Amino acid sequence: MLSGNEQERYHRQILLFGEDGQEKLKSARVVIAGAGGLGCPVATYLAVAGVGHIRIIDHDTVERTNLNRQILHWEKDIGVAKTGSAGEKLKLINPDIVIEAFRVTIDEETAPGLFRDVDAIVDAMDNYPARYLLNHWAIKSGIPLFHGAIRGFDGQVTTIIPGKTACLSCIIPKAPPKEIFPVIGVTAGMIGMIQANEVIKYLLGTGELLGNRLLIWDGLNSVLDTVHVERDPSCTECSHIQDTMKVR
Amino acid sequence: MKVRVKAFARFREIIGSENTLELYEGTSVLGALKNLSAGSIDFRDACFDKEGNVASFVVLMINGKRISGTDREMMVLRDGDELAVFPPVAGG
Repeated sequence: MLSGNEQERYHRQILLFGEDGQEKLKSARVVIAGAGGLGCPVATYLAVAGVGHIRIIDHDTVERTNLNRQILHWEKDIGVAKTGSAGEKLKLINPDIVIEAFRVTIDEETAPGLFRDVDAIVDAMDNYPARYLLNHWAIKSGIPLFHGAIRGFDGQVTTIIPGKTACLSCIIPKAPPKEIFPVIGVTAGMIGMIQANEVIKYLLGTGELLGNRLLIWDGLNSVLDTVHVERDPSCTECSHIQDTMKVR
Repeated sequence: MKVRVKAFARFREIIGSENTLELYEGTSVLGALKNLSAGSIDFRDACFDKEGNVASFVVLMINGKRISGTDREMMVLRDGDELAVFPPVAGG
């Protein structure tokens, strides 16, 4: 049941998808893996939309070099845990939702607890080994994974519904080399917002998700392409699973 | 035969978004990409590994469908094909 405050706060989007839709967002639990360039816009837009339970995970502290793109972290936060900094702002942005901020490294040991009882996992990581771990756990747990990645003016997004669509390993079986990647903040904003939009559509059960499609943003030319991708029958991660996913 | 090569992300910055190549019948994916790299050292360095193979992380698509497997670069192209090359990005 939405409170009077909530009905007022979400009035413009209740016009879009009704109180039923808003209730779906309120009852949803979303994990955002990473509180960096992608995690900040994803968390901000899911928070203002009224996703009721947001768990944000990161092990880093804020550095000055983060501030060109990681919009939840400010000059005053340098040296502070990113989870503390992000959690503080998100609670101010929307006091009607629950924010959990965990300063922890996502690995085989921590993953089961971090991804328990959630409806969606957002990939806001900055390296492929961590992404493949998220992909593995998403498939193992049957939880959708919302992938995004950025470099420079370029970005990519796809939505992975385990058992139904291509997984991250089907699309990108080999990780690109590790680097200190150049990036402009708007690229993180663009890609993070597309990821957040995908999560919202999934939770509402509306629209066409980016399943089996890789969206590629070219910010230098202002071009969005989507390329068709499909499950790899020899994928080491997902080829063994059937289409058993219950879509909300 | 004519083959269109569509480039994404960093590759687009190096060779432009689209190139139409005039190739001999029977040219493979590798042949088409070597043809492009002959005109651009930057593209060669970005797309190929030290052994001269297409780098394993580069996503290749023919007519919008990703091609996979260890012999993917030996696939033969046909007249009118569109070959797409995409280096996935990693930051977040």
